[in-house]
Amino acid sequence: MKDNKVRGIITLIVIALAFLSLLWPTSEGYKGLASLFSRIKLGLDISGGARIEYKVDIDKSVENPSQVAEDVWTVLRNRLDMANYTEAVVKQTFREENTFIIVEIPGATDTARAEQLIGSTGLLWFGQVIDSTTSDPNIDPNLINEAKREKAEWLLDREGKTWYLVKKEIANISNLKLVSPKIVEAIPQVDRNNVAGYVVTFKLDKQYADVFKRITEKLYVPEDLINQGGVAYQQALKKRLAIVLDDRVQFAGFVTAKITDGSALIKGNFTLDEAKQLAAILKSGALPARLEKVSSGWVAPLLGADIVSASLKAGIIGIILVLIYMIIFYGVMGIVADIALLYNTFLLLGILAATGSILTLPGIAGIILTIGTTVDGNIIIYERIKEEIRRGSSVKAAISTAFSKSFITLFDANLTTIIAGLFLYYFGTGTVKGFAITLIIGVLGSLFVNLVVSRFFLELFSGAIKVKGASKGGARA
Amino acid sequence: MIDFVGKRKIFIVISLILVVASLISIFTKGFNFGVEFLGGSEIILKVNAEVSESDVRQIIKNLAPEFENARITQIKSVDDPKGISKFSIVVSPKDENGELKVYTGEEKSVLSQKIVEAFKNNNYTAEVIGFNETSGYAAQEIKNLTWKAIVFTLLALLIYITLRFQFVFGVGAVVALIHDVIITLGFYSFFNYELNVAAVAAVLTLIGYSLNDTIVVYDRIRENLRRSRGSTIETLVNNSINQVIKRTINTSLTTFIVIFILLLFSGNSIKPFAFGMTIGTIVGTYSSLYIASPIVIRWIKK
Repeated sequence: MKDNKVRGIITLIVIALAFLSLLWPTSEGYKGLASLFSRIKLGLDISGGARIEYKVDIDKSVENPSQVAEDVWTVLRNRLDMANYTEAVVKQTFREENTFIIVEIPGATDTARAEQLIGSTGLLWFGQVIDSTTSDPNIDPNLINEAKREKAEWLLDREGKTWYLVKKEIANISNLKLVSPKIVEAIPQVDRNNVAGYVVTFKLDKQYADVFKRITEKLYVPEDLINQGGVAYQQALKKRLAIVLDDRVQFAGFVTAKITDGSALIKGNFTLDEAKQLAAILKSGALPARLEKVSSGWVAPLLGADIVSASLKAGIIGIILVLIYMIIFYGVMGIVADIALLYNTFLLLGILAATGSILTLPGIAGIILTIGTTVDGNIIIYERIKEEIRRGSSVKAAISTAFSKSFITLFDANLTTIIAGLFLYYFGTGTVKGFAITLIIGVLGSLFVNLVVSRFFLELFSGAIKVKGASKGGARA
Repeated sequence: MIDFVGKRKIFIVISLILVVASLISIFTKGFNFGVEFLGGSEIILKVNAEVSESDVRQIIKNLAPEFENARITQIKSVDDPKGISKFSIVVSPKDENGELKVYTGEEKSVLSQKIVEAFKNNNYTAEVIGFNETSGYAAQEIKNLTWKAIVFTLLALLIYITLRFQFVFGVGAVVALIHDVIITLGFYSFFNYELNVAAVAAVLTLIGYSLNDTIVVYDRIRENLRRSRGSTIETLVNNSINQVIKRTINTSLTTFIVIFILLLFSGNSIKPFAFGMTIGTIVGTYSSLYIASPIVIRWIKK
């Protein structure tokens, strides 16, 4: 009896914890029954949104590839946060010695902007503009020759309209160049001279401020000269500063003042979103590895929602039928089985909420399967109890014997399912992994529920348990 | 008492016929692979009218070369209002080198617009509500991983059952599992059901489920082996199966109820899972009773 008290207490504590983790207040405003599920993170297949998967192309010579992957993750996380994609999920997975980064943005309907933000390698450098043209320089032999002569390269601007001939070494002074400087601050701001546009102000880390000062000294053009025109202006055109990000000229213009503190601004008639994105990339720095897009797509929430509601309805109908079936076949013991079943379902949901696991559609299927294992465990035990009672044992003794005999069966049967689940988790991708997680948690939960919770209630109700055919005695060996 | 063991030859023949028929269907007819396996792009289209698959094909076939061989299937959900039809259009565009091409974000929106316009020209209102893509690489990878998962799972189970029971039980369980997997896959092929990642999950779950059933029978045999000495192995196995038959029937029925209702009422993307599980529950229960134990009788050591 003392044992049963312990079982009762554990039973209560565990379910209380499960409900606590389910009902812990969240910012999400679900109401009624749905509030039970508001703490569970929903997979993209349920909530809808954009999903982009990249293979991280890590150089074979790198000493510590997992650190590189970790850095990629951090950079992407920073960029997404700074571009206001805080709800995005960035996941790392490893398959066949390759590292993959999966970015999921719930609710997003367009991957283009996110792809631009993520796919950008973030390489930033400052250069000197020598010439510019609006026609394609790659088909004009004169312009190709000019690039060769100046040891510079033709780069397109952000809008893809103008080509700039840019060189890294400023004023032909060797080593006067600024490539991938560290940027400590980058803020999108309203352009004071142009009401509609935005600019991005940034501040270089102290160690780069000096180089930047020397560059601005060399490229300095007095403002009145720009307005003057003529030969002096033609000369000045060759002293424009270019800010190049990912081989695109983000800014090309005159330096009208020497900059000593390393802070400057990029002017390009940006929209707010563009300015935010540029600031995010500037501040989060360069990606330490190349990303190769494996797949991208968006799941319409419309599509997810109807599937979920239909599957949920089907699941609930199925569970109710099973509940009725068990009571018809096992009477009082059937009620215990029903308690066990509901108990395990809420336990599973509670664990999902507490661990922050993501519930996917196959995950829901995994929950439904858990119902199977929980009911199965109870049936195995009940059939044993019936057998023992037919042999002539008292109900109490029958319960005790049935549990000790069923333990091995339950252990072997559930462990094999867990083994299958572990392999599924290890080799599976995305949604299959979600399924494996719910399967493993569910099977472990059902083992606990069968051995502890069911036993507690069986012993509690043992007085009410009646088994037909007990009088016939031990018919079986 | 039902005689499971005495009639085992009949059931082995039935199983062999089913397995051979499944293999023939798999190798001649093949599978209706989901987009994860094929690689390519899946466009989910909603049309505000009742149109047929051939109508859709007629309207979109000239938009781009890859649309000529697009795989178009109508999708239905229970909650769909009348007068609306939804289609899944799977295309596998190729680039200049004949490799599978992935649409860029821009190409996607251009293509979506083109489709909507094409429908407009035919006096229909259509909307692209989903555009998913999987590169050939991912498809290839999923294929490889799926096979690995199945093979390694079977190996691990063989080892576990050998340790806990006897080697021959492990062989029996694995034979029963392969039997179940082949027949279930055969049903996918035969009924042209879509084989997608969820369906693979179903097949793997079925391994766990069928195994669970088999282990319960084996456990009873193991227990009876220790106790009874006089009876023949045939009687012993037959008694063991009969002792757990009620549990097997009740468990299978309750699982079947949930899965079958899911198959009837669930949304499209979970249907392939429910289909596999429905077939799997039946085949898995059958194989636990008629195949897993009866076929190994000759080799069981007392």
